Amino acid sequence: MFSYYLRLAWISITRHWGLSLLMICAIGLGIGTAMTTVTVNYLMSANPIPEKSQQLYYVQLDSWDVNDPFDDGLNPPDQLTYTDSSNLMRAKKAFRQNVQAQAFGVIEPADPEMLPLIVNGRANSADFFTMFNVPFIYGGGWSNQSDESKEFVVVLSKETNDKLFGGKNSVGQSIKLEGNMFRIVGVIDHWQPKPRFYDITTGAFNESEDIFVPFHLIADEKISRSGNTNCWKPTGDGFKAFLASECIWTQFWVELKTQQDKEDYLQFLNAYVQEQQQFGRFQRPIDNRLSNVMQWLESQEVVADDAQMMMAMSFMFLLVCLLNTVGLLLAKFLGKAPEIGLRQALGASKKTLFSQYIIESACIGILGGILGLILAYLGLKGVEGLYGDYMKDLATLDINMAILAVTLALLSTILAGLYPTWRACNIQPAQQLKSQ
Amino acid sequence: MLVMKNINKIFQTADIQTHALRDFCLQVNEGDFVSVTGPSGSGKTTFLNIAGLLETYSNGEFLLDGEDVGTLNDNGRSRMRNEKIGFIFQGFNLIPDLNLYDNVDVPLRYRGFNSAERKRRIEENLERVGLASRMKHLPSQLSGGQQQRVAIARALATSPRFLLADEPTGNLDSEMAKGVLTLLEEINQQGTTIIMVTHDAELALRAKRTIQVKDGRVSELDVVANIHQASA
Amino acid sequence: MLETGLILRALARNKIGALLIALQIALTMAIMVNAIFMIQDRQQQMQRESGIDEANTFYLTNTIFGQNYNIQAHLQTDLHMIRNTPGVIDAVQINAVPLSSSGWSMALQHESGEDKDAVGSAIYMVDDHGINALGLTLIAGNNFKQGDVEIRKDGQSTWPAKTIITQAFAENLYPDNWQSAIGKTVYISQTQPMQIIGIVKTLQAPWNGWDGVERSMLVPFQRESKGSYYFIRTEAGRRDELMPIIEKALAQSDKERIIRRVTTTEDTRNRSYQQHNATNKILTTVVVTLTLITGFGIVGLAIFSINRRTKQIGTRRALGATKGQIMRYFMMENFIISTFGNIIGCIGAIGLNMWLVNTFNLSPIGIELIAFGVIALFIVGQIAVLYPARKAALIAPATATRTI
Repeated sequence: MFSYYLRLAWISITRHWGLSLLMICAIGLGIGTAMTTVTVNYLMSANPIPEKSQQLYYVQLDSWDVNDPFDDGLNPPDQLTYTDSSNLMRAKKAFRQNVQAQAFGVIEPADPEMLPLIVNGRANSADFFTMFNVPFIYGGGWSNQSDESKEFVVVLSKETNDKLFGGKNSVGQSIKLEGNMFRIVGVIDHWQPKPRFYDITTGAFNESEDIFVPFHLIADEKISRSGNTNCWKPTGDGFKAFLASECIWTQFWVELKTQQDKEDYLQFLNAYVQEQQQFGRFQRPIDNRLSNVMQWLESQEVVADDAQMMMAMSFMFLLVCLLNTVGLLLAKFLGKAPEIGLRQALGASKKTLFSQYIIESACIGILGGILGLILAYLGLKGVEGLYGDYMKDLATLDINMAILAVTLALLSTILAGLYPTWRACNIQPAQQLKSQ
Repeated sequence: MLVMKNINKIFQTADIQTHALRDFCLQVNEGDFVSVTGPSGSGKTTFLNIAGLLETYSNGEFLLDGEDVGTLNDNGRSRMRNEKIGFIFQGFNLIPDLNLYDNVDVPLRYRGFNSAERKRRIEENLERVGLASRMKHLPSQLSGGQQQRVAIARALATSPRFLLADEPTGNLDSEMAKGVLTLLEEINQQGTTIIMVTHDAELALRAKRTIQVKDGRVSELDVVANIHQASA
Repeated sequence: MLETGLILRALARNKIGALLIALQIALTMAIMVNAIFMIQDRQQQMQRESGIDEANTFYLTNTIFGQNYNIQAHLQTDLHMIRNTPGVIDAVQINAVPLSSSGWSMALQHESGEDKDAVGSAIYMVDDHGINALGLTLIAGNNFKQGDVEIRKDGQSTWPAKTIITQAFAENLYPDNWQSAIGKTVYISQTQPMQIIGIVKTLQAPWNGWDGVERSMLVPFQRESKGSYYFIRTEAGRRDELMPIIEKALAQSDKERIIRRVTTTEDTRNRSYQQHNATNKILTTVVVTLTLITGFGIVGLAIFSINRRTKQIGTRRALGATKGQIMRYFMMENFIISTFGNIIGCIGAIGLNMWLVNTFNLSPIGIELIAFGVIALFIVGQIAVLYPARKAALIAPATATRTI
């Protein structure tokens, strides 16, 4: 019977093509718009490291001004002072720990023909690579030893390695960075977490870095730092004074294996802050936080307001399209009252009629879903074009979204078809058959 | 065999109660060709709707082929319509979106025949009404008489025991009407029981038996005649 | 109108159909009004002037990588060279570019000391050529003199003794009389005094989304730093021609630095408002398609309701109704449905706006916009129903006597 209903649906759709087209377009547009915004939101709020997002914690300590709290006291500052991150690093109380900041520098290629290269970098600890499961093509990260003995080592991105070494294994070779020779210990594969969760202080969807160097090189002024710096207390002159200041510009991540480890670490942080209070620091109430990856992204609201607002609008848009479909289906099915009456006279039960018309609704839904998918694809291309780099890689349809689009179209059309179908099935046959 | 005993049908609206059928009694035997006549508003159509299981009755007893119709639910009545009854309407009631083949196919689908069986029946019955050559046409491409013949083919396709016809020639000119009636007589001779509602006295006379409905009742004389016939 | 009662009774018999259209109109109205409101809000933001001569200015970054490099000497040579290029009006070294979304900010306070109220401002470090190079309008006080300009080393914590601020900033500091700001002393970095010597009309901060975007200050600093911007203003119409010339001249004069990101101020503005622009385009598309969908929905439903009533309409015609009366009937019917829809829509629009205000910090919607939405949807409804109503008017009176 299913194929029979499908054929009836097909005949009905093609015979009343104008009306069917109107419904398919309405659903297609609704689904297309909804899926475009859902995809952007979905990619913005994606878990960038699902395998261990529960074990990685971002550390926040409230070191801010007692009179003028950070973020009106709602959240502790989003970065740490150099003093605090260095102390936490030295304590080594977590399974893995990483202090990091953004950096930049100029590479002077060995080949005098090549122009010098400005690179965006990250200054981080040895644990960075293992903590965040960074994939390597050649070599690997540097060791904790290298951190302690302040070695000039560097990890290159695939793109930088392609540029400088034509993609060959460059491990063991050296590059001249900011006037110093750095030994290459590893080359990472293309790696672009979206959001770039490990540092969202200058934007959650920035590109990953060209080079990675040990964090202590910043303190030694061997490499220049960049990124956000926030101060509440005047600082003294010179870089030493800046390092000792209350300015926040470092980020601190820890990897903790169990819930117990997390609680222990939080206790350690509280004890640390109490100790620091004796030196006149941390005058605000203790508000230390450990946020796992998803908690951290959520608290920093990485999903743009615009994206959320558009998603809300597009679902209302879909609702309008569905109301439209309900109205048109109702008109269509009630217009078929004589046929429905006749089918009942010829032995159709309510159940069979219900199946027939729900299948017709579903067919329109699937066609609308396919149209919606095409429109969503075009919509995402448009979004990417309009927003530029900001939306790069955030506007792609994956198979999950495609399935969701068609399912959403199907379900919402069936839902839209329920009332018209119910009305159609309750048509009294006797009244429809007398004469037309 | 169709037996109605003291069937009442009361239409209830907000302030008016209409007694469409009053203690309606009728027995129609196997192979009969009964015409039902009566003035407009006499209850002919209500009788046919109840006989065809399109409407329920308020009270009384109605046996169709020995089965008590009153005990059937909606699905049961649908099944009985499909298996035992064929309909022919004044307005033909073909589905305008479907071609002739698909129109005749409709009741066969609900019966659940396999595709070979359906094909055989559709072709056989369209052949019978002389329209086999036009099975891919849409109803709108046919004349009124041809449309009614398709409707007859559709009614016969399930091999029903009863054929109910509501003014089958009402929308046809006299030439076409004659053809349709001849077809009905043929069908009756092959064993199908026919109940035909008409207000045309001349047409009614061509049936084997004529009953008259007045104010929702079968008129007295005919009842006596029926009983007499039945016992004979 | 005599027919109104008749139409209402007819509608009451087909409640669901009418309700569906009314609801569609209501939702369309709620979305449309709020979307237009957001578009207008963004447009207003984009129309704010940055205060600089956008059409004739560009900038570039100068990144020094050479060791033992005499930054000061090179800076003076560079500026001298650029300022003397034919077609250049003026040039300046600057630490940040308006609307470029990266820059510095500090807070100023009336009294010296910790725990005093302070107002944040963007900081632009320029020399005495700053006002001319940016193309700012000095509306009170004086520009810096050459002797006011100090050299700033990286990590230096002291500030010069003079500053020029924007009018908006002056109004914020001295709400009673912004002109009285001239000559006043304010404190930067909590305790360091600074005298306001001039006021410029407008100069926006680097961050367009900041609520203090109109608060900026110029400080007389030349930076001794390995990375800085050169900001250049040219004679009208000569910007594009001079950009490559200056880039080349700088790059060739010295191989121990990199000249990058040669960008016009116009491009910076476009990039700065790219998200605004994109969002506006999307919202516009949403409003247009939504209106179309609702319009076509009305057309579809009206055609169906007319098809179902063909015989009835024919009978009316047979009984003497004119074509005009038939058309008016359907247009009136749509008007009544639109009225219901618009009433619900007004409530919906305000409700949606309240939610947007709470969730996304938008400002409340104006009544005139709601009025616009109501009128627009009435017009859309009437236009949509025009074709079906004409179709109805063309039904022949003879239809009444036809049986099938």
